[in-house]
Amino acid sequence: MRYDRAIYRPLGDLYLTVEFGDELNLSLNFRVIALDLALRACPIPGVTETILTNRSLGVVFDPFTITHERLVARIEEIEAATGAITELPSRRVTIPVWYGDPWSRECAAAHGAPHNLDYLAELNRMTVDQVIRTHSGTEHWVSAVGFTPACYQAMPLDPAKALTAPKYLRPRKWTPERIVCIAGQLTSFYPVASPGGYQLLGRTPLELYDPTQRNPAFRDGPVLPRVGDRHTYVPIDEARYWEIRRQVETGTYQYEIREETFRVPTERDGP
Amino acid sequence: MTFEVLDGGLHTTIQDLGRPGYLATGMPPSGPADRFALGLANLLVGNDPGERYLVGRRPGDAGLEALLFGLKLRVLAETVIAVTGADQAPTLNGEPVPMWRAVRVARGDVIALQRTRSGARTYLAASGGIDVPCFSGSRATNVRAFVGGLDGRALRRGDTLRTRPAGRPLADLARRRLRPELVPSYGPRWRVRVVLGPQDDLFLEESIRTFLEHDWTLSPISDRMGCRYVGPALAFRPRPEYLVEQAGADPSNIVDDTIPVGGIQVPGGLEPIVLHVDGPSLGGYAKIATVISADLGKVGQTRPGEVTNFHAVSTGEAVAALRELEGAISEGSIVAA
Repeated sequence: MRYDRAIYRPLGDLYLTVEFGDELNLSLNFRVIALDLALRACPIPGVTETILTNRSLGVVFDPFTITHERLVARIEEIEAATGAITELPSRRVTIPVWYGDPWSRECAAAHGAPHNLDYLAELNRMTVDQVIRTHSGTEHWVSAVGFTPACYQAMPLDPAKALTAPKYLRPRKWTPERIVCIAGQLTSFYPVASPGGYQLLGRTPLELYDPTQRNPAFRDGPVLPRVGDRHTYVPIDEARYWEIRRQVETGTYQYEIREETFRVPTERDGP
Repeated sequence: MTFEVLDGGLHTTIQDLGRPGYLATGMPPSGPADRFALGLANLLVGNDPGERYLVGRRPGDAGLEALLFGLKLRVLAETVIAVTGADQAPTLNGEPVPMWRAVRVARGDVIALQRTRSGARTYLAASGGIDVPCFSGSRATNVRAFVGGLDGRALRRGDTLRTRPAGRPLADLARRRLRPELVPSYGPRWRVRVVLGPQDDLFLEESIRTFLEHDWTLSPISDRMGCRYVGPALAFRPRPEYLVEQAGADPSNIVDDTIPVGGIQVPGGLEPIVLHVDGPSLGGYAKIATVISADLGKVGQTRPGEVTNFHAVSTGEAVAALRELEGAISEGSIVAA
């Protein structure tokens, strides 16, 4: 459901959330980003940071500087003055992926699950090749970053290229780091080894989280993905995986990141 | 060098007030699980307790946060320390050493924490503060993100710790202690205040009552990321069909949204989890309530097996409680022994 008017909910005394709907829908994410940009353009004293999610904007504030009630009133004013969003700054980030890599297979097998690409193929009535072509055949819009540093969620911009995938019924105890995964229509990523329940697609040789910030791609911080990025996943084979991996490990890999402007699809353009 | 670690104990990390400001990248603030106890330890030894928990810009000086038992340090250079928080029967060269007061220690002294008698986390500050490189403006350790502290990990035997230059002469510090009436008592029964929401409306009314009226026992599966409570199952209202695909098959699933520090997730309606300072910023389970920031320290000091009652308050009451807590982390709370 998309709400006509945003719902403001308290999250204790230091946070509130501005919620535009309860469903997964890119148009909600665009409203979240638009409000975040408006708050940045017009900073409210006392607001210390914001958290962008698929469908809501978390706002962190110092209640000694601004009260909850006053903050809600200020954000409502800013939100009302925020016009329809037509363009957004958006980076195009290329991420090479070894689909069906041996670590994903081993991890699935260790948890009693079939090879996840085979499972996705069966579920989406495709061959494994078609699954890979479908997933790598559209840009994916990063709609939320969080859970752990550099973990993200991304939605396919071309709805015809959406795969469906259920989460594991019993979450895995572990997943290797740098695995690209999918659940529902959302592509996600395990930056560090962690438990999880998404279906495993493949492994990238790239680091998207680097606390050493050795590569220039991490100049601004240890986390690469940002809400509003568009990811292109490029299938690679084993040889290319190791070639890139060596460059990443020596800090010489050139991340493919292009600053672009994204034209936001209107409702008329389709869902 | 000021200290050599003889035993890292169960889990000891270097913490200052943390690194808020990076939630949009998924980086949690970290910092102490009990802000009051670390703040007072720092004040007692003349250090900066930092600006504000979770919303401040100045993380203050770093001390040690030691979980449940076992930390042992040898003093390599004279300093003044203060031990606060959980009572792990601290000793200096085998003799009991008072808590919540500044204590002068000399080269060769051995400071040891035994086993907790009340509370879960003990804090140790040393004059000048523990000196490790800052990461994103803070020295706070986050072992899951491999940042802060000593190489982003817990302390272990053989580590050495240096301190920064003391801001005040050691002789001026040695008799300082917390006003006795301000020394907190830790459990065994806890009353933790919460603000209901953001998703309390997804739970059955009777489950909200159960949450607020039942005894909840802290599970041993608890850490700085989340504290899990055992009690009766909570149930959810019927929900629209589209959420099954978009959010997940379990009725507790929502399309991911912000998790505040203190947010209480209830995956599957079982075992509410209070997310704490190393917790995730984003998650897909309904949150029944949020622990008020003034009571996060109580959650951090609860031992597994102890009982908590959650009590609903307004955001106004939560802010008043925070004013009281922050007000107490000040020079006015300290007297000469």
